Amino acid sequence: MIDFLFWMFGLAAVGFGVLVFRTDSMVRASFLLLASFMCVGALLVMLLAEYLGVALWFMMALEMVVMALFMVAFMMNPAGLNPMSMVHQPGSAKITGAAGAIALMTVALAAELPARTMSRASSTLEALGHDMLSDSMLIFESAGVALLATMIGAVVLSARSSRFGSAADQGSQPPAIDTDDPDSVPDVEERASNEHHHGMGHEHGGQS
Amino acid sequence: MLEVRAMSPLTAAACALCALLAGAYLTALIERMLSVRGRGHRVSRRDFGLPLYQAALRMRQEVVHTERPDSLLALLAPASYGAAATAALSVVPLGASLAIADVHTGIVLFGAAEAFAIVAVFMHGWSFNSQLSLIGAYRFVALGLSYELLSMFVLIAAALPARSLQVSLIVDSQARVWNVLRQPLGLPLWIVVMLGVSFWGPLDLADSRDLAGGTSLESSGRERLLWQLLRRAMLAVFAGMGAAMFLGGWHGPLLPGWLWMLLKTLALLSLALWLGQRVGRMHAERVVRAIWLVLLPLSFVGLVIAGLGALP
Repeated sequence: MIDFLFWMFGLAAVGFGVLVFRTDSMVRASFLLLASFMCVGALLVMLLAEYLGVALWFMMALEMVVMALFMVAFMMNPAGLNPMSMVHQPGSAKITGAAGAIALMTVALAAELPARTMSRASSTLEALGHDMLSDSMLIFESAGVALLATMIGAVVLSARSSRFGSAADQGSQPPAIDTDDPDSVPDVEERASNEHHHGMGHEHGGQS
Repeated sequence: MLEVRAMSPLTAAACALCALLAGAYLTALIERMLSVRGRGHRVSRRDFGLPLYQAALRMRQEVVHTERPDSLLALLAPASYGAAATAALSVVPLGASLAIADVHTGIVLFGAAEAFAIVAVFMHGWSFNSQLSLIGAYRFVALGLSYELLSMFVLIAAALPARSLQVSLIVDSQARVWNVLRQPLGLPLWIVVMLGVSFWGPLDLADSRDLAGGTSLESSGRERLLWQLLRRAMLAVFAGMGAAMFLGGWHGPLLPGWLWMLLKTLALLSLALWLGQRVGRMHAERVVRAIWLVLLPLSFVGLVIAGLGALP
Protein backbone atom coordinates (compact mmCIF):
# COMPACT_ATOMS: atom_id res chain seq x y z
CA MET A 1 0.00 0.00 0.00
CA ILE A 2 2.74 2.45 1.02
CA ASP A 3 4.78 1.48 -2.03
CA PHE A 4 1.76 1.90 -4.27
CA LEU A 5 1.06 5.38 -2.90
CA PHE A 6 4.72 6.34 -3.23
CA TRP A 7 4.80 5.34 -6.90
CA MET A 8 1.44 6.96 -7.54
CA PHE A 9 2.53 10.35 -6.16
CA GLY A 10 5.89 10.07 -7.92
CA LEU A 11 4.37 9.32 -11.31
CA ALA A 12 1.64 11.92 -10.82
CA ALA A 13 4.29 14.56 -10.01
CA VAL A 14 6.03 13.81 -13.31
CA GLY A 15 2.73 13.57 -15.20
CA PHE A 16 1.47 16.95 -13.99
CA GLY A 17 4.90 18.37 -14.79
CA VAL A 18 4.54 17.21 -18.40
CA LEU A 19 1.02 18.63 -18.62
CA VAL A 20 2.36 22.09 -17.66
CA PHE A 21 3.89 22.32 -21.14
CA ARG A 22 0.97 20.73 -22.98
CA THR A 23 -1.69 23.18 -21.88
CA ASP A 24 -2.40 26.49 -23.63
CA SER A 25 -3.27 28.72 -20.68
CA MET A 26 -0.89 30.41 -18.25
CA VAL A 27 -3.32 29.96 -15.39
CA ARG A 28 -3.80 26.26 -16.04
CA ALA A 29 -0.04 25.80 -16.38
CA SER A 30 0.49 27.43 -12.96
CA PHE A 31 -2.05 25.20 -11.27
CA LEU A 32 -0.76 22.05 -12.99
CA LEU A 33 2.67 22.94 -11.64
CA LEU A 34 1.05 23.35 -8.22
CA ALA A 35 -0.47 19.85 -8.57
CA SER A 36 2.98 18.50 -9.36
CA PHE A 37 4.45 20.20 -6.28
CA MET A 38 1.61 18.83 -4.16
CA CYS A 39 2.60 15.30 -5.16
CA VAL A 40 6.22 16.06 -4.23
CA GLY A 41 4.96 17.36 -0.87
CA ALA A 42 3.04 14.14 -0.35
CA LEU A 43 6.24 12.19 -1.04
CA LEU A 44 8.07 14.26 1.58
CA VAL A 45 5.31 13.55 4.11
CA MET A 46 5.63 9.85 3.32
CA LEU A 47 9.38 10.10 3.97
CA LEU A 48 8.49 11.44 7.45
CA ALA A 49 9.72 14.91 6.54
CA GLU A 50 6.26 16.06 7.55
CA TYR A 51 7.09 19.70 8.13
CA LEU A 52 8.91 20.06 4.82
CA GLY A 53 6.05 18.44 2.92
CA VAL A 54 3.32 20.53 4.52
CA ALA A 55 5.40 23.71 4.24
CA LEU A 56 5.91 22.91 0.53
CA TRP A 57 2.10 22.75 0.01
CA PHE A 58 1.73 25.98 1.91
CA MET A 59 4.40 27.93 0.05
CA MET A 60 3.67 26.54 -3.39
CA ALA A 61 -0.06 27.25 -3.19
CA LEU A 62 0.63 30.91 -2.45
CA GLU A 63 3.50 31.13 -4.91
CA MET A 64 1.61 29.61 -7.80
CA VAL A 65 -1.46 31.80 -7.38
CA VAL A 66 0.74 34.90 -7.23
CA MET A 67 2.66 33.66 -10.27
CA ALA A 68 -0.52 33.04 -12.26
CA LEU A 69 -1.78 36.50 -11.42
CA PHE A 70 1.43 38.29 -12.32
CA MET A 71 1.90 36.35 -15.55
CA VAL A 72 -1.54 37.33 -16.74
CA ALA A 73 -1.03 40.91 -15.59
CA PHE A 74 2.41 41.54 -17.10
CA MET A 75 2.37 39.53 -20.36
CA MET A 76 2.27 41.62 -23.53
CA ASN A 77 -0.05 39.09 -25.09
CA PRO A 78 -2.71 38.75 -22.40
CA ALA A 79 -1.56 35.25 -21.64
CA GLY A 80 -4.15 32.91 -20.30
CA LEU A 81 -6.80 35.21 -21.68
CA ASN A 82 -5.61 34.25 -25.16
CA PRO A 83 -4.51 30.65 -25.70
CA MET A 84 -0.75 30.44 -26.21
CA SER A 85 2.00 27.87 -26.39
CA MET A 86 3.77 27.09 -23.12
CA VAL A 87 7.10 26.17 -24.73
CA HIS A 88 9.81 28.28 -26.28
CA GLN A 89 13.15 27.27 -27.81
CA PRO A 90 11.95 23.64 -27.80
CA GLY A 91 15.15 22.30 -29.41
CA SER A 92 17.67 23.54 -26.86
CA ALA A 93 15.16 23.04 -24.04
CA LYS A 94 14.95 19.33 -24.86
CA ILE A 95 18.72 18.94 -24.72
CA THR A 96 19.23 20.86 -21.46
CA GLY A 97 16.17 19.18 -19.91
CA ALA A 98 17.41 15.69 -20.75
CA ALA A 99 20.93 16.52 -19.55
CA GLY A 100 19.59 17.90 -16.27
CA ALA A 101 17.36 14.88 -15.71
CA ILE A 102 20.20 12.44 -16.41
CA ALA A 103 22.53 14.34 -14.06
CA LEU A 104 19.97 14.31 -11.26
CA MET A 105 19.17 10.63 -11.75
CA THR A 106 22.86 9.79 -11.73
CA VAL A 107 23.26 11.61 -8.43
CA ALA A 108 20.21 9.83 -7.00
CA LEU A 109 21.39 6.40 -8.08
CA ALA A 110 25.14 6.72 -7.62
CA ALA A 111 25.39 8.75 -4.42
CA GLU A 112 25.79 7.00 -1.11
CA LEU A 113 22.71 8.11 0.78
CA PRO A 114 22.42 7.66 4.54
CA ALA A 115 20.40 4.57 5.44
CA ARG A 116 19.11 5.57 8.86
CA THR A 117 15.63 4.32 9.75
CA MET A 118 13.25 7.10 10.74
CA SER A 119 10.47 6.01 13.04
CA ARG A 120 8.81 9.17 14.36
CA ALA A 121 7.80 12.23 12.39
CA SER A 122 8.17 14.42 15.49
CA SER A 123 11.89 13.61 15.72
CA THR A 124 12.52 14.97 12.21
CA LEU A 125 10.59 18.12 13.09
CA GLU A 126 12.74 18.62 16.16
CA ALA A 127 15.95 17.90 14.26
CA LEU A 128 14.97 20.43 11.62
CA GLY A 129 14.31 23.08 14.27
CA HIS A 130 17.67 22.46 15.93
CA ASP A 131 19.47 22.57 12.61
CA MET A 132 17.79 25.78 11.48
CA LEU A 133 18.60 27.56 14.73
CA SER A 134 22.14 26.29 15.29
CA ASP A 135 24.56 25.29 12.52
CA SER A 136 22.54 26.62 9.60
CA MET A 137 21.23 29.69 11.37
CA LEU A 138 23.49 32.14 9.52
CA ILE A 139 22.45 30.77 6.10
CA PHE A 140 18.74 30.81 6.89
CA GLU A 141 18.77 34.23 8.48
CA SER A 142 20.82 35.85 5.70
CA ALA A 143 18.63 34.23 3.05
CA GLY A 144 15.58 35.46 4.93
CA VAL A 145 16.84 39.05 5.14
CA ALA A 146 17.86 38.99 1.45
CA LEU A 147 14.40 37.76 0.43
CA LEU A 148 12.71 40.36 2.60
CA ALA A 149 14.84 43.13 1.08
CA THR A 150 13.97 41.85 -2.41
CA MET A 151 10.27 41.85 -1.60
CA ILE A 152 10.34 45.37 -0.20
CA GLY A 153 12.38 46.53 -3.19
CA ALA A 154 9.93 44.94 -5.63
CA VAL A 155 6.96 46.53 -3.90
CA VAL A 156 8.64 49.94 -3.84
CA LEU A 157 9.58 49.71 -7.53
CA SER A 158 6.20 48.47 -8.71
CA ALA A 159 3.98 50.73 -6.61
CA ARG A 160 2.69 53.57 -8.73
CA SER A 161 2.81 56.06 -5.88
CA SER A 162 6.45 55.34 -5.00
CA ARG A 163 7.69 55.81 -8.56
CA PHE A 164 5.79 58.96 -9.38
CA GLY A 165 5.13 60.38 -5.91
CA SER A 166 1.81 60.89 -4.24
CA ALA A 167 0.60 62.97 -7.20
CA ALA A 168 1.02 60.00 -9.56
CA ASP A 169 -2.34 60.56 -11.17
CA GLN A 170 -2.21 64.34 -11.28
CA GLY A 171 1.21 65.21 -12.65
CA SER A 172 0.84 64.36 -16.33
CA GLN A 173 -1.15 66.32 -18.84
CA PRO A 174 -2.10 64.99 -22.27
CA PRO A 175 -0.87 67.02 -25.26
CA ALA A 176 -3.20 69.48 -26.92
CA ILE A 177 -5.22 68.12 -29.83
CA ASP A 178 -4.71 71.24 -31.89
CA THR A 179 -1.08 72.39 -31.43
CA ASP A 180 -1.95 76.03 -32.14
CA ASP A 181 -4.78 76.07 -29.64
CA PRO A 182 -3.55 75.41 -26.07
CA ASP A 183 -7.16 75.23 -24.83
CA SER A 184 -7.81 72.01 -26.77
CA VAL A 185 -6.18 69.86 -24.06
CA PRO A 186 -8.62 67.02 -23.44
CA ASP A 187 -10.09 66.61 -19.98
CA VAL A 188 -7.83 64.21 -18.08
CA GLU A 189 -10.63 62.72 -15.99
CA GLU A 190 -12.83 62.05 -18.98
CA ARG A 191 -9.96 60.58 -20.96
CA ALA A 192 -8.97 58.26 -18.11
CA SER A 193 -12.49 56.91 -17.79
CA ASN A 194 -12.77 56.40 -21.56
CA GLU A 195 -9.51 54.48 -21.65
CA HIS A 196 -10.64 52.43 -18.72
CA HIS A 197 -13.81 51.34 -20.51
CA HIS A 198 -11.92 50.65 -23.69
CA GLY A 199 -9.37 48.50 -21.85
CA MET A 200 -12.07 46.44 -20.16
CA GLY A 201 -13.88 45.78 -23.40
CA HIS A 202 -10.69 44.70 -25.08
CA GLU A 203 -9.82 42.31 -22.30
CA HIS A 204 -13.22 40.73 -22.41
CA GLY A 205 -13.11 40.36 -26.17
CA GLY A 206 -9.72 38.67 -25.95
CA GLN A 207 -10.92 36.19 -23.43
CA SER A 208 -14.02 34.96 -25.19
CA MET B 1 2.68 13.18 26.18
CA LEU B 2 -0.89 13.21 24.98
CA GLU B 3 -2.30 10.06 23.46
CA VAL B 4 -3.32 10.64 19.84
CA ARG B 5 -6.18 8.45 18.77
CA ALA B 6 -5.98 7.48 15.12
CA MET B 7 -9.11 6.96 13.03
CA SER B 8 -9.46 4.48 10.21
CA PRO B 9 -9.63 6.21 6.79
CA LEU B 10 -13.30 5.32 6.32
CA THR B 11 -14.35 6.64 9.75
CA ALA B 12 -12.27 9.75 9.14
CA ALA B 13 -13.96 10.43 5.78
CA ALA B 14 -17.45 9.88 7.20
CA CYS B 15 -16.63 12.05 10.20
CA ALA B 16 -15.30 14.88 7.99
CA LEU B 17 -18.34 14.80 5.71
CA CYS B 18 -20.79 14.88 8.62
CA ALA B 19 -18.89 17.66 10.39
CA LEU B 20 -18.72 19.83 7.26
CA LEU B 21 -22.42 19.36 6.47
CA ALA B 22 -23.39 20.00 10.08
CA GLY B 23 -21.17 23.08 10.16
CA ALA B 24 -22.74 24.46 6.98
CA TYR B 25 -26.27 23.79 8.28
CA LEU B 26 -25.59 25.37 11.67
CA THR B 27 -24.04 28.42 10.03
CA ALA B 28 -27.07 28.86 7.78
CA LEU B 29 -29.41 28.32 10.74
CA ILE B 30 -27.69 30.84 13.02
CA GLU B 31 -27.60 33.29 10.13
CA ARG B 32 -31.36 32.89 9.69
CA MET B 33 -32.05 33.19 13.43
CA LEU B 34 -29.98 36.35 13.71
CA SER B 35 -31.75 37.98 10.78
CA VAL B 36 -35.21 36.99 12.11
CA ARG B 37 -34.36 38.35 15.56
CA GLY B 38 -32.81 41.43 14.00
CA ARG B 39 -36.12 42.26 12.37
CA GLY B 40 -37.87 41.90 15.73
CA HIS B 41 -39.66 38.62 14.94
CA ARG B 42 -39.58 35.41 16.94
CA VAL B 43 -37.78 32.33 15.64
CA SER B 44 -40.37 29.76 14.60
CA ARG B 45 -40.06 26.05 13.98
CA ARG B 46 -40.13 26.68 10.24
CA ASP B 47 -36.82 28.52 10.42
CA PHE B 48 -35.05 25.28 11.35
CA GLY B 49 -36.06 23.65 8.10
CA LEU B 50 -35.57 26.73 5.95
CA PRO B 51 -31.87 26.17 5.10
CA LEU B 52 -32.71 22.63 3.95
CA TYR B 53 -35.67 23.89 1.92
CA GLN B 54 -33.55 26.56 0.25
CA ALA B 55 -30.85 23.99 -0.51
CA ALA B 56 -33.43 21.67 -2.09
CA LEU B 57 -34.74 24.58 -4.16
CA ARG B 58 -31.23 25.38 -5.46
CA MET B 59 -30.70 21.68 -6.24
CA ARG B 60 -33.68 21.74 -8.61
CA GLN B 61 -32.68 24.94 -10.41
CA GLU B 62 -31.17 24.82 -13.84
CA VAL B 63 -27.39 25.18 -14.13
CA VAL B 64 -26.59 27.96 -16.61
CA HIS B 65 -23.12 28.04 -18.14
CA THR B 66 -21.22 31.02 -19.50
CA GLU B 67 -19.67 31.13 -22.93
CA ARG B 68 -16.41 29.15 -23.14
CA PRO B 69 -15.72 28.66 -19.42
CA ASP B 70 -12.49 27.05 -18.22
CA SER B 71 -14.37 23.87 -17.36
CA LEU B 72 -11.39 22.12 -15.75
CA LEU B 73 -10.86 24.91 -13.24
CA ALA B 74 -14.63 25.27 -12.77
CA LEU B 75 -14.59 21.68 -11.54
CA LEU B 76 -11.39 22.05 -9.52
CA ALA B 77 -12.43 25.27 -7.73
CA PRO B 78 -15.16 23.85 -5.46
CA ALA B 79 -13.18 20.60 -5.18
CA SER B 80 -10.12 22.38 -3.84
CA TYR B 81 -12.10 24.75 -1.61
CA GLY B 82 -13.82 21.65 -0.18
CA ALA B 83 -10.49 19.85 0.15
CA ALA B 84 -9.05 22.88 1.94
CA ALA B 85 -12.01 22.93 4.33
CA THR B 86 -11.58 19.18 4.95
CA ALA B 87 -7.84 19.47 5.52
CA ALA B 88 -8.40 22.37 7.91
CA LEU B 89 -11.12 20.43 9.70
CA SER B 90 -8.92 17.36 10.09
CA VAL B 91 -6.66 19.07 12.64
CA VAL B 92 -9.49 20.71 14.61
CA PRO B 93 -10.26 18.71 17.76
CA LEU B 94 -13.79 17.28 17.83
CA GLY B 95 -13.61 16.24 21.48
CA ALA B 96 -11.13 15.64 24.28
CA SER B 97 -7.89 14.76 22.41
CA LEU B 98 -9.92 13.49 19.46
CA ALA B 99 -9.37 14.80 15.94
CA ILE B 100 -9.58 13.34 12.46
CA ALA B 101 -5.83 13.65 12.02
CA ASP B 102 -3.98 15.31 14.87
CA VAL B 103 -0.73 15.71 12.95
CA HIS B 104 2.49 17.09 14.45
CA THR B 105 2.43 20.06 12.11
CA GLY B 106 -1.20 20.93 12.83
CA ILE B 107 -1.12 24.69 12.45
CA VAL B 108 1.14 24.52 9.39
CA LEU B 109 -1.35 22.18 7.73
CA PHE B 110 -4.10 24.61 8.67
CA GLY B 111 -2.12 27.42 7.05
CA ALA B 112 -1.64 25.30 3.92
CA ALA B 113 -5.41 24.74 3.82
CA GLU B 114 -5.92 28.51 3.94
CA ALA B 115 -3.48 28.91 1.07
CA PHE B 116 -5.45 26.40 -1.00
CA ALA B 117 -8.64 28.27 -0.19
CA ILE B 118 -7.08 31.34 -1.83
CA VAL B 119 -6.14 29.27 -4.89
CA ALA B 120 -9.66 27.84 -5.02
CA VAL B 121 -11.39 31.22 -4.88
CA PHE B 122 -9.11 32.50 -7.65
CA MET B 123 -9.88 29.45 -9.81
CA HIS B 124 -13.59 29.90 -9.15
CA GLY B 125 -13.59 33.51 -10.30
CA TRP B 126 -11.34 32.72 -13.25
CA SER B 127 -13.25 29.72 -14.54
CA PHE B 128 -16.45 31.48 -15.67
CA ASN B 129 -14.81 33.65 -18.34
CA SER B 130 -16.69 36.61 -16.95
CA GLN B 131 -15.40 40.06 -16.14
CA LEU B 132 -16.78 40.78 -12.67
CA SER B 133 -15.99 37.24 -11.50
CA LEU B 134 -12.39 37.76 -12.57
CA ILE B 135 -12.17 41.05 -10.68
CA GLY B 136 -13.49 39.25 -7.59
CA ALA B 137 -10.82 36.59 -8.06
CA TYR B 138 -7.96 39.09 -8.41
CA ARG B 139 -9.23 41.02 -5.44
CA PHE B 140 -9.33 37.92 -3.28
CA VAL B 141 -5.70 37.03 -4.02
CA ALA B 142 -4.54 40.43 -2.72
CA LEU B 143 -6.77 40.13 0.32
CA GLY B 144 -6.09 36.43 0.86
CA LEU B 145 -2.33 36.94 1.16
CA SER B 146 -2.99 39.51 3.88
CA TYR B 147 -5.34 37.18 5.78
CA GLU B 148 -2.88 34.31 5.45
CA LEU B 149 0.01 36.29 7.00
CA LEU B 150 -2.21 37.55 9.80
CA SER B 151 -3.50 34.08 10.59
CA MET B 152 -0.04 32.54 10.69
CA PHE B 153 1.30 35.12 13.15
CA VAL B 154 -1.78 34.69 15.34
CA LEU B 155 -1.50 30.87 15.25
CA ILE B 156 2.23 30.91 15.99
CA ALA B 157 1.58 33.11 19.03
CA ALA B 158 -1.07 30.65 20.22
CA ALA B 159 1.34 27.75 19.70
CA LEU B 160 4.18 29.37 21.67
CA PRO B 161 3.04 28.47 25.21
CA ALA B 162 2.54 24.85 24.10
CA ARG B 163 5.97 24.69 22.43
CA SER B 164 4.35 22.57 19.72
CA LEU B 165 2.65 22.94 16.35
CA GLN B 166 0.23 20.14 17.21
CA VAL B 167 -3.30 21.38 17.89
CA SER B 168 -4.09 18.92 20.70
CA LEU B 169 -0.98 20.00 22.60
CA ILE B 170 -1.89 23.65 22.08
CA VAL B 171 -5.36 22.97 23.55
CA ASP B 172 -3.79 21.05 26.41
CA SER B 173 -1.52 23.98 27.25
CA GLN B 174 -4.70 25.96 28.02
CA ALA B 175 -5.86 23.62 30.78
CA ARG B 176 -5.45 26.35 33.42
CA VAL B 177 -5.55 29.64 31.52
CA TRP B 178 -7.16 30.03 28.12
CA ASN B 179 -5.19 31.78 25.40
CA VAL B 180 -7.90 34.41 25.09
CA LEU B 181 -6.74 35.74 28.49
CA ARG B 182 -3.01 35.14 27.99
CA GLN B 183 -3.01 36.68 24.51
CA PRO B 184 -5.87 39.19 24.38
CA LEU B 185 -5.06 40.22 20.79
CA GLY B 186 -5.36 36.72 19.33
CA LEU B 187 -9.10 36.15 19.23
CA PRO B 188 -10.15 39.51 17.71
CA LEU B 189 -7.53 39.09 14.98
CA TRP B 190 -8.70 35.51 14.41
CA ILE B 191 -12.26 36.72 13.85
CA VAL B 192 -10.93 38.97 11.07
CA VAL B 193 -9.25 35.92 9.50
CA MET B 194 -12.45 33.87 9.86
CA LEU B 195 -14.58 36.44 8.08
CA GLY B 196 -11.88 37.02 5.49
CA VAL B 197 -11.14 33.48 4.34
CA SER B 198 -14.83 32.62 4.02
CA PHE B 199 -15.42 36.15 2.60
CA TRP B 200 -18.20 36.98 4.97
CA GLY B 201 -20.01 40.14 6.12
CA PRO B 202 -17.71 43.18 6.21
CA LEU B 203 -15.00 41.21 4.40
CA ASP B 204 -17.23 39.73 1.71
CA LEU B 205 -15.14 41.26 -1.07
CA ALA B 206 -14.80 38.31 -3.45
CA ASP B 207 -18.50 37.55 -3.89
CA SER B 208 -19.72 41.00 -2.97
CA ARG B 209 -22.70 43.05 -4.14
CA ASP B 210 -20.48 45.77 -5.60
CA LEU B 211 -19.31 43.14 -8.12
CA ALA B 212 -22.87 41.89 -8.61
CA GLY B 213 -21.91 38.66 -6.85
CA GLY B 214 -18.20 38.52 -7.75
CA THR B 215 -16.76 35.05 -8.25
CA SER B 216 -20.17 33.39 -7.90
CA LEU B 217 -21.95 35.86 -10.17
CA GLU B 218 -22.28 33.31 -12.96
CA SER B 219 -22.83 30.18 -10.89
CA SER B 220 -26.32 28.76 -10.58
CA GLY B 221 -28.26 25.76 -9.42
CA ARG B 222 -26.43 22.99 -7.61
CA GLU B 223 -23.02 24.51 -8.42
CA ARG B 224 -24.03 27.66 -6.55
CA LEU B 225 -25.43 25.54 -3.73
CA LEU B 226 -22.14 23.68 -3.37
CA TRP B 227 -20.09 26.89 -3.30
CA GLN B 228 -22.35 28.54 -0.71
CA LEU B 229 -22.36 25.37 1.38
CA LEU B 230 -18.56 25.15 1.34
CA ARG B 231 -18.21 28.80 2.34
CA ARG B 232 -20.41 28.21 5.37
CA ALA B 233 -18.57 25.00 6.23
CA MET B 234 -15.27 26.91 6.02
CA LEU B 235 -16.56 29.55 8.42
CA ALA B 236 -17.64 26.83 10.86
CA VAL B 237 -14.23 25.10 10.62
CA PHE B 238 -12.48 28.39 11.36
CA ALA B 239 -14.79 28.92 14.33
CA GLY B 240 -13.82 25.46 15.58
CA MET B 241 -10.13 26.26 15.19
CA GLY B 242 -10.63 29.55 17.03
CA ALA B 243 -12.36 27.71 19.88
CA ALA B 244 -9.45 25.26 20.08
CA MET B 245 -6.74 27.92 19.82
CA PHE B 246 -8.10 30.65 22.09
CA LEU B 247 -11.06 29.36 24.12
CA GLY B 248 -9.43 26.29 25.63
CA GLY B 249 -10.97 23.76 23.25
CA TRP B 250 -12.46 20.83 25.13
CA HIS B 251 -11.49 22.17 28.59
CA GLY B 252 -14.34 23.12 30.89
CA PRO B 253 -16.09 21.93 34.05
CA LEU B 254 -18.89 19.34 34.35
CA LEU B 255 -19.82 18.84 30.68
CA PRO B 256 -18.00 16.34 28.44
CA GLY B 257 -15.18 17.59 26.19
CA TRP B 258 -16.99 17.32 22.87
CA LEU B 259 -19.92 19.35 24.19
CA TRP B 260 -17.64 22.14 25.41
CA MET B 261 -15.95 22.16 22.03
CA LEU B 262 -19.33 22.37 20.28
CA LEU B 263 -20.63 25.13 22.55
CA LYS B 264 -17.49 27.24 22.15
CA THR B 265 -17.52 26.75 18.40
CA LEU B 266 -21.16 27.80 18.19
CA ALA B 267 -20.53 30.84 20.39
CA LEU B 268 -17.65 32.00 18.19
CA LEU B 269 -19.62 31.25 15.02
CA SER B 270 -22.59 33.26 16.30
CA LEU B 271 -20.34 36.17 17.19
CA ALA B 272 -18.79 36.15 13.72
CA LEU B 273 -22.19 35.92 12.01
CA TRP B 274 -23.58 38.68 14.22
CA LEU B 275 -20.65 40.91 13.28
CA GLY B 276 -21.22 39.93 9.67
CA GLN B 277 -24.74 41.27 9.81
CA ARG B 278 -23.98 44.36 11.89
CA VAL B 279 -20.83 45.71 10.24
CA GLY B 280 -21.06 47.15 6.75
CA ARG B 281 -18.89 45.86 3.92
CA MET B 282 -15.54 47.60 3.72
CA HIS B 283 -13.61 48.87 0.73
CA ALA B 284 -11.11 46.26 -0.52
CA GLU B 285 -8.18 48.67 -0.72
CA ARG B 286 -8.84 49.96 2.78
CA VAL B 287 -8.99 46.40 4.15
CA VAL B 288 -5.54 45.58 2.72
CA ARG B 289 -4.17 48.85 4.07
CA ALA B 290 -5.70 48.24 7.51
CA ILE B 291 -4.34 44.69 7.68
CA TRP B 292 -0.79 45.61 6.68
CA LEU B 293 -0.52 48.85 8.64
CA VAL B 294 -2.57 48.08 11.75
CA LEU B 295 -3.49 44.43 12.22
CA LEU B 296 -0.17 42.84 11.22
CA PRO B 297 1.82 45.11 13.59
CA LEU B 298 -0.76 44.26 16.26
CA SER B 299 -0.14 40.56 15.62
CA PHE B 300 3.60 41.20 16.13
CA VAL B 301 2.75 42.79 19.48
CA GLY B 302 0.69 39.66 20.21
CA LEU B 303 3.72 37.54 19.33
CA VAL B 304 5.89 39.52 21.76
CA ILE B 305 3.25 39.15 24.52
CA ALA B 306 3.08 35.40 23.87
CA GLY B 307 6.87 35.11 23.79
CA LEU B 308 7.32 36.97 27.09
CA GLY B 309 4.63 34.81 28.67
CA ALA B 310 6.28 31.63 27.43
CA LEU B 311 9.69 32.52 28.91
CA PRO B 312 10.59 30.13 31.72
